[in-house]
Amino acid sequence: MRGIPTVVITVSPDASRQMRPPRALYPRGFKIGNSLGRPGMADLQRRVLADALGLLTAPPAPGEIVERDYPEYGTDEA
Amino acid sequence: MSQMSRRCVPYTPFDRPLDRATIALVTAGGVHRRDQEPFNIADELGDLTFRTIGPEVEVADLMVTHHHYDHSDADRDINVVFPIERLRELAAEGVIGGVAKLHVGYMGYSMQLKQLYDQTAPAIAEEIDRGSRADAVILTGG
Repeated sequence: MRGIPTVVITVSPDASRQMRPPRALYPRGFKIGNSLGRPGMADLQRRVLADALGLLTAPPAPGEIVERDYPEYGTDEA
Repeated sequence: MSQMSRRCVPYTPFDRPLDRATIALVTAGGVHRRDQEPFNIADELGDLTFRTIGPEVEVADLMVTHHHYDHSDADRDINVVFPIERLRELAAEGVIGGVAKLHVGYMGYSMQLKQLYDQTAPAIAEEIDRGSRADAVILTGG
């Protein structure tokens, strides 16, 4: 049975890590509900998606969660 | 969870240039078309079904039914959990070869983890493999 290559974009990296995903991207600081970014931030969403796709051709590192910073996401007011 | 945490997801090599690859989206964020049956969030055990979404779907025709995350941002812009417009743009730019014929939404909150793992996940994989012919899948939660 052949598999299907996958990449997970996770905003719950501790939970994802338990399943040792084959490829995973954690956009640091993005909240649950904002996996690709905030509404209307098309450039940011596209960049996060492109980074996730980039893991398909990156050297294999199964179980590792790649963390990236996207400063334009900003922070949530408390 | 101890049974689940002993498993890991097998690694399948990706064996082609990205710009020749067809990509599908699978989200646990409860995304579905407005004309499809919503996920049953009244079921305490969780809804084990999934919905298929075509590549040309209008984002106005998509919605979220999910009671375990704040999806108010996804309600405004579905791309934050299901980036179908962004995927179409990357295909138009030639970054990826194409957008798969079929994408999947399901409702990932479940008290029936074993059934989700044993039934729903393989059914989604089968749909992606046969119906979508995708070369790779991008997974999102919410």
